[in-house]
Amino acid sequence: MAVNIILEARDIRYRYPGNREAIKGISFHVRKGEKIALVGPNGAGKSTLLQMFNGMIHPTEGTMLFDNEPIRYDASSLRKLRRRVGFVLQNPDRQIIAPTVYQDVAFGPANLGYDEQAIREAVEVALRQVGLDGFERRTPHHLSGGEKKRVAIAGVLAMDPDVLVFDEPTSGLDPSGSEDLMELLDELNHDGKTIIISTHDVELAYPWAERAILLMDGQIIREDVPDIAFGNTKVVRMAHLSVPTLLELSAELGKRGFPVPERKPRSVLDMVHIIENHLHGTCNHPSPGTILVGNVDETAGGTLSAWVQARPGVIVGAMGTRAKQCAAQEQITLEFTYGVIDKCILRALRGKDSLILTTGSMAGRVGVRVDAYCRESGNDIRVVTLDPAGMSPGPADCKEGDHGNDESQK
Amino acid sequence: MIETNLDSIAQQSTFRRISTSTKLLLALGSLILCLVSPSPLVPLISGITLSLVLIIPGRTSLRSYGDLLIGPAIFSGVSVIVLLFLLGGGEILWQFSPLPGITLAITTGAVQQSTLVLCRVFGCSAALFFLALTTPMTDLFNGMKAAGIPAELIDLMMIIYRYIFIIQAQASEIWQAQVMRLGYGRPGEAVRSFSMLCGMLFISSWNAGEDLVKAMDCRCYDGILPSLDPAEPIRFWSLLPVVLYLAGLGSMVVAGLPGNGGWP
Repeated sequence: MAVNIILEARDIRYRYPGNREAIKGISFHVRKGEKIALVGPNGAGKSTLLQMFNGMIHPTEGTMLFDNEPIRYDASSLRKLRRRVGFVLQNPDRQIIAPTVYQDVAFGPANLGYDEQAIREAVEVALRQVGLDGFERRTPHHLSGGEKKRVAIAGVLAMDPDVLVFDEPTSGLDPSGSEDLMELLDELNHDGKTIIISTHDVELAYPWAERAILLMDGQIIREDVPDIAFGNTKVVRMAHLSVPTLLELSAELGKRGFPVPERKPRSVLDMVHIIENHLHGTCNHPSPGTILVGNVDETAGGTLSAWVQARPGVIVGAMGTRAKQCAAQEQITLEFTYGVIDKCILRALRGKDSLILTTGSMAGRVGVRVDAYCRESGNDIRVVTLDPAGMSPGPADCKEGDHGNDESQK
Repeated sequence: MIETNLDSIAQQSTFRRISTSTKLLLALGSLILCLVSPSPLVPLISGITLSLVLIIPGRTSLRSYGDLLIGPAIFSGVSVIVLLFLLGGGEILWQFSPLPGITLAITTGAVQQSTLVLCRVFGCSAALFFLALTTPMTDLFNGMKAAGIPAELIDLMMIIYRYIFIIQAQASEIWQAQVMRLGYGRPGEAVRSFSMLCGMLFISSWNAGEDLVKAMDCRCYDGILPSLDPAEPIRFWSLLPVVLYLAGLGSMVVAGLPGNGGWP
């Protein structure tokens, strides 16, 4: 028995009334804490498959397993399953049931039998997680598309599921809203949730997913890490998809004699590294900039904005909903809200400094990512954690690349 | 759309945070006093006072309020013109014969009765608008629950309220799509387009209903639609002026009763 497998499909088939077979013998598994993208064209069977994860659809043949146990379809077992597998529909208007945000988010906990105090706490936590504190009394028809999506997610998070399933999470959102949502999914994954999304947007799935499952006509045609799953042009075309731009560019560079590493580029940073490696062999700036990390949970109100104002050369990015809210409260302009670490590394390679606002739990990710990049590229980028006690709101005491004495090197 | 506007204004009202019970007391109290008053003065004073309260401290836009009053004003204006000729009593003030053998007359009694009706419509409309423009539907649901209305009925009302806006948005989109393709160009086409719109709305409402059941099942629906967070408590400093106002209005009604000398 594989202990870290949370969901598994064993040769499942599903036939809609009318005899159309939507799923034609699919087998795969999802490990705990994974980020999986089900990618395929319209009508490939993605939504049907997703609905099997929480028992909304019962496979005609084959077995679905949750936590290594076959899913049972009696009312009591389904309640237990749905408590642990949260499902976010494509259209939030179809998911938001109640006339106020509070009532909608409280819907799950109330039906799970929580008492009034526990419901209130669950709603508060869920709304904070999605960055909608203070929206409790708002009505859904007064919310934007992105806010509705977040309410729908909060409604599922309030039940504290282990697995979150999203059907086309970014549909109907503008690019900025999509980026914010993907950042939120990363944050939830960082908090230990297993995330499964369905999408036909390969540009979205390629850098985000740890594993991609390509579906076509109710069958899996490829299942692998994204650079391999999307790397086979023939398979990708067969699935009526397109090769991600970064992969296509990397392939073209390879054909022109650039030394393309075995690990395909997953981000702009990786691509820049390939090109710079070919041109210079290393960073093109004599002294790389520094990445400063500010923990918003430890910093007193007003201190950060004063610190930022005193250092106009430092560009600010925020990772996580709490950090973005804090930046908005302190009226700090954010340059980066998605892919923040990579963008700050790129800036550091140009000799510029950046500040990443984040919360305690996510601060460690900055160091890990920068260390990994430095090991691979041979560059040396400093990551410095701001010392909240020593932060001075006084005049600028440093130029770019010189951070004075108010930080402690990590 | 008027229902969207009403709800939006109510959401932003200065009086949003005042207890629904207090607002309900003010609106219903005023409404009843307007109806029982034998004099037009009480509904007139009540209407003007509530309108001023809505516009000045309540920050309701004068234009929005004016737009809302147009409907009742037209309806009551037309009704009053009819009443002037229908009612009788007192001296004849003016009369004319539109056709031989038919004489229409306006009497002093008809003027008094029509004025009373006009003022009552104004006073009662202002009372109802006060409630509608300061209390979102969601707060009213809480009030209904506190008043002991069965939970099942309130749940149904909440779901209907939620879906009104979704179906309304869909209707608007379909209508726009039809207008863009000249669906309402000729009377025959307009009838066909409108019937298609109704048909499409029925199908999409049916689908929305199925999705609603799925969405509820996904979140372990067990017959509970939670209430909104606790309603605003009744506060002394908001209740006191309401009670004083209603007491003043009530004493004016009593003073105006025929046995007490009545109003001039």
